[in-house]
Amino acid sequence: MTAATLAHDAHGDVDQLYIETRELRLQGFLLFLISDCVLFSSFIFAYLYMRNSGQGWPPPGIHRLDVPFAAWNSVVLFGSGATMHYALENFKHGHWMRYMIFLLATIVLGAGFLAGQGYEYTHLIYGEHVTWAGSGIFGASFFTLTGMHGLHVFIGVCYLTVLVLQSSAGVYTRGKYFGITAGTLYWHFVDVIWVVLFSIFYLI
Amino acid sequence: MSVAAVHPGGIADHIHPEPQGFVRRYVFSLDHKIIGIQYIITAFVFFMLSGLLAEVIRTQLLNPNGGFVSSDTYNEVYSVHGSAMVWLVIIPLLTGGFGNLVFPLQIGARDVAFPWLNMLSFWIFPVSGLMLFASFLMGAPTAGWMEYPPVSLQGAAGTSMWCAAIFLVGVSSTMTGINFVVTILKMRAPGMTFTRMPLFCWGQFATAPLLMIATTALAAALAALFIEREFGVPFYDPTKGGSPVMWQHMFWFYSHPAVYIMILPAFGIISEVLPTFSRKPIFGYKLIAFSSMAIALAGFMVWAHHMFTSGLAPFLQLPFMILTFVIGVPTGIKIFSWTATLFGGKIHFSTAMLFALGFIGLFTLGGITGIFLAAIPFDLHVHGTYFIVAHLHYVLVGGSLMGVFAGMYYWFPKMSGRLLNETLGKWHFWLFFLGFNGTFIPMHWLGMLGMPREVATYDPQFAFWNRFESVASYLMAFSILLFFVNVLWSIRNGKRSGPNPWGGRTLEWQIPSPPHYYNFKHIPTVYGLPYDFAQPLPYKGLDEELTDSPPAVAAGAH
Repeated sequence: MTAATLAHDAHGDVDQLYIETRELRLQGFLLFLISDCVLFSSFIFAYLYMRNSGQGWPPPGIHRLDVPFAAWNSVVLFGSGATMHYALENFKHGHWMRYMIFLLATIVLGAGFLAGQGYEYTHLIYGEHVTWAGSGIFGASFFTLTGMHGLHVFIGVCYLTVLVLQSSAGVYTRGKYFGITAGTLYWHFVDVIWVVLFSIFYLI
Repeated sequence: MSVAAVHPGGIADHIHPEPQGFVRRYVFSLDHKIIGIQYIITAFVFFMLSGLLAEVIRTQLLNPNGGFVSSDTYNEVYSVHGSAMVWLVIIPLLTGGFGNLVFPLQIGARDVAFPWLNMLSFWIFPVSGLMLFASFLMGAPTAGWMEYPPVSLQGAAGTSMWCAAIFLVGVSSTMTGINFVVTILKMRAPGMTFTRMPLFCWGQFATAPLLMIATTALAAALAALFIEREFGVPFYDPTKGGSPVMWQHMFWFYSHPAVYIMILPAFGIISEVLPTFSRKPIFGYKLIAFSSMAIALAGFMVWAHHMFTSGLAPFLQLPFMILTFVIGVPTGIKIFSWTATLFGGKIHFSTAMLFALGFIGLFTLGGITGIFLAAIPFDLHVHGTYFIVAHLHYVLVGGSLMGVFAGMYYWFPKMSGRLLNETLGKWHFWLFFLGFNGTFIPMHWLGMLGMPREVATYDPQFAFWNRFESVASYLMAFSILLFFVNVLWSIRNGKRSGPNPWGGRTLEWQIPSPPHYYNFKHIPTVYGLPYDFAQPLPYKGLDEELTDSPPAVAAGAH
């Protein structure tokens, strides 16, 4: 998407053109999220398909996942959704410091979620010997889907870090902040995907 | 800044300065017209390569015992032929090629919504095409264009390359889809309401969401196949708990909509060519437009009709059969509307029109065998035989490719300012028509008699018709050669076309050929449908387009 969002950046500050092309970018970005959503949906379909054609779930020899730990980790991620929301709202209202604090909090919480996921992976791989390739369809679906989601969170954390640097350099103004809007949308999207993944892997 | 006109989406009018230098103008161009032509040239290069592969297939089948290439090579050849024709030829020609070239002109826009994304989409496409053909160097895929596991899991290293290539071309398609949806939603000229849009734009508008949504599902399936082949993570291998049928679900969830990606823009081309050369308003404008949307939507609900022999539960088979029958209804509406457009018209048999008429006939045949195949009892009988090969070539060659040729003869003047030679064009059409039918009609009865597809040798009782088909396929190849000669000759020596050689009424014919970098001097205002030949043109603000005056909006002025 970067190519698209850069398409008109050569123009000056807040002008009519920027405000109008922002609508194009917003629509294009939402369509990108829809197609990303289809990517997750396809893997989720694959997981449910394999789960229902096997011999019970989890398959013999594999323990249930650690639900309380993942639940706390989810709380961290959902909390980061809230801080991101406040970051954008504060930016819109011109509260620069509060914006930065909430943005940094989002990054810390996002990184915390990734750390939690890393801990969970380590525990599964070394503690219970459940691996990506060596544990049948359980390992395949669990690590692929949560890994894909983790990759999205990682990309999000990187992007938010770029936002911090750009904001400090004064790239965004009160009339011109599509980059922040896009980051917020993406971050909420990643949150919503996690709601679904948490439900289908840990709760059912 | 000066605001000369505002689009319905609220986009102010502005012109970017025209880039200078060969590289910025013709190689890494941001101009939708140049990118469209780049797509068309690249896709025709791949068309030539995969057409040669098709002739290898037919040469092998001259004799029941084959002998032209080894069975393994034969498997590679038909697999790459199918993959390349679908992903590197038909889809890029109809969406990236004609889509980019024509529809922004038709809706009165200066470019697509995201020109940089458009350039990126294009440049991914030749790279992925080269990757696909490079898979021959490391053992090409051998399981057909569908690459069903477990065969594709055991295929040579080139199968992984195939996954990566198709994944990349899918990324390109997805970006094109996003670009086109936003462009059509937001960048139409004032007065260009949805029900005044030319039907080619409707075809693209129905196709773009399919590109955007269905292709991502394929990307997931390909990623899983790649991961399983390279890292041994079990998705499709039944010995490790995976399911090969799951691949079929995921693959056809993309590939059935892909069938409509390959035909809806061709429907659009036909709907432009027919009224222009019959000098008559298109019959049932709204029906044609809305039936495209109906086909696109219903296309997501019929994928499992490719899987009637894959052990699908009987309670699932019936709805898929019925939905597939239902999808024949909007298609039938189109065929009816086109025929009614011809009725009583002043038909001018130009080459473009011949291809459009050929399209109607051949696509109808392919569509009817499609209805046969939707019926489970019949499908069980002919599944995996040459009947399927006949059906898919009637819709993809007799349908999509005929549409591409109609579009080439129709819009070549808009690309180059010169007409394609009509005499050569008519030879091209008739030889192609005869060669095509000679190649694929006998496959219907060969399939009914039980000749399996994708085999390098066959029962000697089928020898006569196979030889007949091979000879006819050489005729078809020769006609394509005539087409290439025609293009290469006409681009330098063709008759100058002027802005509007066919008396077309859509917006692209009201501006010079080839159009200026900025398309329109003033963004026109639209007052009605373009197809009413008895009325004056329904546009205002086009008076200066064919004069020497500069554009109303200065370049770079905002």
